[in-house]
Amino acid sequence: MRRRLNEAIVFVAGVAMLAVPAVVTDRYVLKVLTFVGLNTIVVIGLALLFGYAGQVSLGHAAFFGIGAYTSARLVMSFGLPWVLSVVGAAVVAALAGWAVAVPGLRLRGHYLAMATLGFNEIMSVAFVEARPVTGGNDGLGGVPFPSFGSFELKTPSALFVLVWAVALLVWLAARNIVRSRPGRAMRALHCTEPGALASGVDVAAVKVRVFALSAGLAGLAGALFAHSVGFISPSSFGLDLSVLLVAAVVLGGRESLSGPIVAMAVLTLLQYLGALLPGLPRQAAEAIQDWVPDIVGATLIAVLIARARGGAPVRAKEALGRGAR
Amino acid sequence: MSLLSVRGLDKRFGGVHAVRDLSFDVHPQTVKALIGPNGAGKSTVFNLLTGFDRPDAGSASFDGTELVGMPPHRIVRAGVARTFQESRLFETMTVEENVLVGMHHRLKTTFADAAMRTPRVVREEREAREQALHAMRVVGLEPFKDTLASDLPHGIRRLVEIARALATDPRLVLLDEPAAGLDGRETQELAEALLRIRDTGVTLLVVEHDMGLVMEISDEIVVVDQGRKIAEGPPRIIQKDPAVIEAYLGEVVDGV
Repeated sequence: MRRRLNEAIVFVAGVAMLAVPAVVTDRYVLKVLTFVGLNTIVVIGLALLFGYAGQVSLGHAAFFGIGAYTSARLVMSFGLPWVLSVVGAAVVAALAGWAVAVPGLRLRGHYLAMATLGFNEIMSVAFVEARPVTGGNDGLGGVPFPSFGSFELKTPSALFVLVWAVALLVWLAARNIVRSRPGRAMRALHCTEPGALASGVDVAAVKVRVFALSAGLAGLAGALFAHSVGFISPSSFGLDLSVLLVAAVVLGGRESLSGPIVAMAVLTLLQYLGALLPGLPRQAAEAIQDWVPDIVGATLIAVLIARARGGAPVRAKEALGRGAR
Repeated sequence: MSLLSVRGLDKRFGGVHAVRDLSFDVHPQTVKALIGPNGAGKSTVFNLLTGFDRPDAGSASFDGTELVGMPPHRIVRAGVARTFQESRLFETMTVEENVLVGMHHRLKTTFADAAMRTPRVVREEREAREQALHAMRVVGLEPFKDTLASDLPHGIRRLVEIARALATDPRLVLLDEPAAGLDGRETQELAEALLRIRDTGVTLLVVEHDMGLVMEISDEIVVVDQGRKIAEGPPRIIQKDPAVIEAYLGEVVDGV
């Protein structure tokens, strides 16, 4: 019953988000809230993978980047319509996720964290070095706005509505998944892999599928990001984003979608506090912005220690460090 | 005619010869007990038969299907389910959800179907919950349907493991010490539940230390010691077998 109520609140909040541009006219604030919407899509994917299935990924910023560059290239070099390029980008990111998952998911806990972290670093270098495709450190500019035929979505409010509409659909789909057969299989293998195997669950196949799905959602968000901002560069797809996403899922709690979304929103908004709170002195805003990665890291450590001592209800320690089982 | 036919099963762990040239049969709709002193290799036999470990030699034919070499989830699909000595429940899930995971391979919903929640998914979920209720009733778990596994008392946890195994729609269930940690009354209820399960046409292979329970429910007993079969036969004969008494000497065994 409490879960129902919780979900109803998230749903109403989600729909209400779509009405925000009617009230908020500040272009910068709308852009910041659009980033929150994009990160919502990524964090839902990571919540499925990590919060539900217990498989950590410190490489989701890389899948976000793969989606961004793929979609930009599909439109700019191959002239694909925007809708197809976004779908194509999600598929390419999902395939990349599949390619990482097949060898990677033989690893568990800390080892999987290290492998996906390595993947993130490899892709960071690739984004810089593959200059003909990515534009290197100079980035890739002039990515066209999303368009349906000749109708372009280029105002901050239109982009905001587009991103949040997709985020809402992704949230509905994720909620449906966790409530039925594949979601139960994910939760089961997180609790005990032998138990899941003995119940007839093909553990390896479920892990690979949820990893590919999760990477695909990151790619989808990356594609929307590229077309919303029009300019992408490797600095947007670094490890700091991956860590922020993992922190959001840990803070948000195991087997939850709304928790990670709220945690991610708070962590994302911290970076833009100066613009969101007009009264805040500029120096304070800048200081907070500079310290965001430290705040994220420190919070993560504090929560893990508290939970390891049984101070919080969610067994996040298990989720992070399941090396032994 | 036997449902499960084990031939020449052999397994070494480094210097330990855990299972030695073990052969036995399990006949349809019977209860067979696998007993022996601690460390006799009983749990290893279960792991070898359910794909959690690979034997160095030997075969296990289940109704004509070779189980050796198959991964665990495929063995479940072939009709052989198991429980664990140390319970492996899905702690964050309710009893009903635990049982529903047992029905995993009988349901069809994929990630894509689930995401769109098609009418077929809704129908399948409803039917699955009805069937899960049935599996819970067989072992008397209905009152605990919505309780989280982590909140259950020990005795009930053992029943959830059994209900989850039954939910896979097995023809053979391997039970690893189902009475461990149960009190006298709970053990008696377990015995009755196991006989009810046998009467529904399910064959049972049980590893158990509680000799009272073994003698009450078993049609046949196979005794292993140091990985080797030392006796096989109906309970009355086994109780008087000199080799069995010898193997158990020095060990305190309930009910013998």
